[in-house]
Formats: sequence, structure tokens, C-alpha cells
Amino acid sequence: MFDIAFNNVNEIIGMNGHGIYVWSVYSIAISILVMSFLVAKNRIKGVKRKIKIKNAPS
Amino acid sequence: MLRLIKIESSKLFYKLKSWLGPMLIMILVLTAFPLSIDISQFDLEKFYFSIIVVSLLMTSFLATEGMFEEDFEDGSLEQEFLIEQDFYKVVLSKIFVYVCFIGVPIALIGAIFSVANGVAIESFVSVFLSLSLSNLLLFNLFAFGNALSINKGAMLGVLTSLPLALPVIILLGTAIRSIQYGNGFLEIISLMIGMGFLISAIMPLIISTALKTHID
Amino acid sequence: MISAFIHKFSSPKSFVQITKTLYPLFIFTGLSMLIIGWTWGLLFAPPDAVQGNSYRIIFLHVPAVIFAELIYFFMALCALMHIVWRVRLAAYLIKSAAPIGAMITFIGLFSGSIWGIPTWGTWWQWDARITSTLILFIMYLGILTLHGSFSNLEKSDRLMSILVVIGVVNIPIIKKSVDWWSTLHQPASISVSGGSSIDPSMLYPLIISVIGLGFTLISLGILTSRSYILGREKNKKWVLDHV
Repeated sequence: MFDIAFNNVNEIIGMNGHGIYVWSVYSIAISILVMSFLVAKNRIKGVKRKIKIKNAPS
Repeated sequence: MLRLIKIESSKLFYKLKSWLGPMLIMILVLTAFPLSIDISQFDLEKFYFSIIVVSLLMTSFLATEGMFEEDFEDGSLEQEFLIEQDFYKVVLSKIFVYVCFIGVPIALIGAIFSVANGVAIESFVSVFLSLSLSNLLLFNLFAFGNALSINKGAMLGVLTSLPLALPVIILLGTAIRSIQYGNGFLEIISLMIGMGFLISAIMPLIISTALKTHID
Repeated sequence: MISAFIHKFSSPKSFVQITKTLYPLFIFTGLSMLIIGWTWGLLFAPPDAVQGNSYRIIFLHVPAVIFAELIYFFMALCALMHIVWRVRLAAYLIKSAAPIGAMITFIGLFSGSIWGIPTWGTWWQWDARITSTLILFIMYLGILTLHGSFSNLEKSDRLMSILVVIGVVNIPIIKKSVDWWSTLHQPASISVSGGSSIDPSMLYPLIISVIGLGFTLISLGILTSRSYILGREKNKKWVLDHV
């Protein structure tokens, strides 16, 4: 069960002609997930900044 | 309840474009389609039903557009709530009137056009029944969309209620196929009747909750 | 008793405090399980007898579609809580979960389309399951659009909750559409009632990927809900102390 299913890196990338489908799907999905996390973190920073500015002693 | 139905019927009767408009649009679309294609190349009987189904979806949405908007803006919706203390009856009577005076005629038009385009005359009643029950479901769902987006434009109502209406279209398509192939129609129509009763009972309650939210 | 329990644990303040502690655990668990599951599935699982290596998209596609539906169920539960018990936090969670649900549904649709090219020879089929998932995606967009249409946020919350509860009827239709209508889409590979049609060497990485994606999405949900709650409750004292 834990033997690698490919013989070399080229086979991993090519996946017998299906590599383009598999790797494009995973790379786009991972990009979307990473971007979502970054956007969410930025939003928290933005909200905190706005609250601090609004409540800063004048 | 009868009083409400009489009031809604007379209101609808005087709003000519509300009931005549959808019927005319249905006739227009069903007439225009064969004119736009080379009918010698296509077997109209096989796919004309699809045009009827899509026209039904469009006209149902158009028929229920602004169902509550006018009453909301002139305050009569709020007045009816204060008199009745039960929005459910107000909404139920409104949907009932719309289905009877717009939904059923649209279904009749669709059934007539289907027979005119090659469907067997023996299937007329089955087609009419399927289209009428679909209209009952669609009017309830689109009325819900209109209640949510009462004065925010028709597009918001479509966006919120169209995804709910598409399963009804899938069911109608299955009913039409069962008529075409001559099997399983009773099962499908029983399912549609059951769904019709369920949605007609529950949806006015949900719509009244949405309307109360706007009024509060 | 239920009402008392809900009101005790449904304050936005306690939610933010509890999730701040849980977030590192969830993100670590999620990412590590996702890495293990995907590495196992992409590199170690044997190729499929019929589909070859293109089937490896399953380790992303199936978890994405599972959570597309589960997130909607979660939103429906929150919507019920908001409608029945007027829990504000429930409405905040719906608003935070909807974009995540839309995103993961899009990933499910997109991965399924790409998978369809080598498998079915087409990237799209007007098949019951695929169409129902597209409808689910449109529903997520409808919910977000509805909430953004009203300036009165309490009214928006209530209307959004009503729409979510009504829309939940679409989820069983998606789930069962594979069985009810003849369809190109394959039947469910795994089921809650037990029994699976796929080999254990593919099943185990799939299960790990599902759990990993679940924890990752929960972590993302914690972040989005935190920013939304802080924005909505910005005039409260606890927010000033928190910030």
C-alpha cells in the first residue's frame, strides 16, 4: 500500500498523459484556498485597524 | 378567507397587465419559436415540450413579479395584516387567485400548443395536468422570491427563487417524458400532487414570515 | 433547557475567545491531514484500472462536494437557531460560511469538469447531479446577494435565514438525484450506512483528505467569522478590549 506508484519524477508529472488535468486541478484549488486564508487574515487586520482608529483618543 | 379571495380576484382583474401579459408572452414565445427554425429539418414533436417548459418558467416568474410590491408600497399589505392578524390567509388567497386566473390559463395555452405541434390529442389532459401542477409549485416558489426581495427589484427575486424552481422543471421534464413514452405517468403525477399540497400549505406560512420581517 | 444552553454558548464574545484558542489546533490538524491524504493519493495509491491516473482528482473533488453540501446543512441549522431563538451569532455564522460554501462548491464543480475531460470526453454534462450542484452554487450566490441588498442588517439576517432554511430542501435532491434520475455521473463511492465500492488503498487517503479538508475549512470559517463578528459588534466594549 505504501509503494510509490511511479518510477521517476517525469512519470509523476506526466501521469501517463493525465498529469495536466490532475496537477492543474490541484494547483488551482490550492491557490484558491491559500488566497482565501490570506484574504480572511487581511480582513481581520483591516477591521481591527478601523476599530482602533475609531476609538483612538482624539 | 372567501372575502380575501374575492378582494384579491377583483384586484387582479383590474390589473390587466398582470394577468393578460403573461398569457400573451406565453403565446408569443410558443408562436415565435417554430418561426425561428427550419421546421422541415427538425422533428418539432420531440423537442417542442422543452420550449413549453422554459416558457412556463419564464411566464410564471413574470406573472408573480410585483405580487406583493404594490400592496407593500401603498400600505394595504400592512392594513390587511392588521385586520386579519394572520398573514397566512392573505398570502394563501393571493397565491390561490394567481394560480387560478393566470397559472391554469397558461397551462391550458401550453397544452393546446403541444397538441398543435404533434402531441397526440389523447395526451392533452395529461399535459394540461402536468403543466397546471408545475405552475402551482412555481407560483409558490416565485412568490417566495418576491416576498424576500419585495422592493429590491425583480432580479434579486429571480436569483433567490430560481434555484428552488429548477428541481420543479426537472420533475416536469420527467412527467413529459413519461407522457411521451407512455409509462410511469401516474407515479410522477401523484408525486407532483403531493408536492403541490405540501408546498401550498407550507409556502404561504414562510412567505408571511418574510413579509412580516419587511413590515416590522 | 435547550434555550438556556443555546443562550449560554451563543454569545459572539465567547465564540471569538473559544475559537481563538482552537484555531491553531484546527489549522495544524487540517493542513497535516490534507498533506498526508493528498500525498498518499497522488503518489502512493495505485492507478485505477479504467481511468488510469486521472482518478486521483477524486481526493480533491469528493471532499469538496461533500463539504459543499455539509456547509449548507450547517447554515440551515444556524438559520433555524436564528429564526427560532433569535441567536445573533447564528446569523453571523451563516454570513461567514456562505462565501466558503460558494468557494468549495466552485472547486467541486471545477475539479469535476476537468476530471470529466479524460473520463467522459466532455467537461460538462447536463446531468442531474452536476446540474444540482451548479444550482447549489447559484443558491450560495443568491444568499450572499440577498444579504447585501438591505441596509438594515438585522432584516437581512432574518431574510437570509428564511432563504437558507427553504433552500435546504435542495440538498437531498442533490444527494439522491444520482439514484432518482438516470445519469452519467457515477453512484456514491462511499456511504454513511457502510460499504464502499472503492479499494482500501484508495479509500483510506480519500477519508484522510475528507477529514483534512474539513478541519481546514473550519479554520477558514473561524477566520472569516471572527472578522465579521468584530465588524458587526464593533461598538461593544468586549471588542475594544479584544482589539
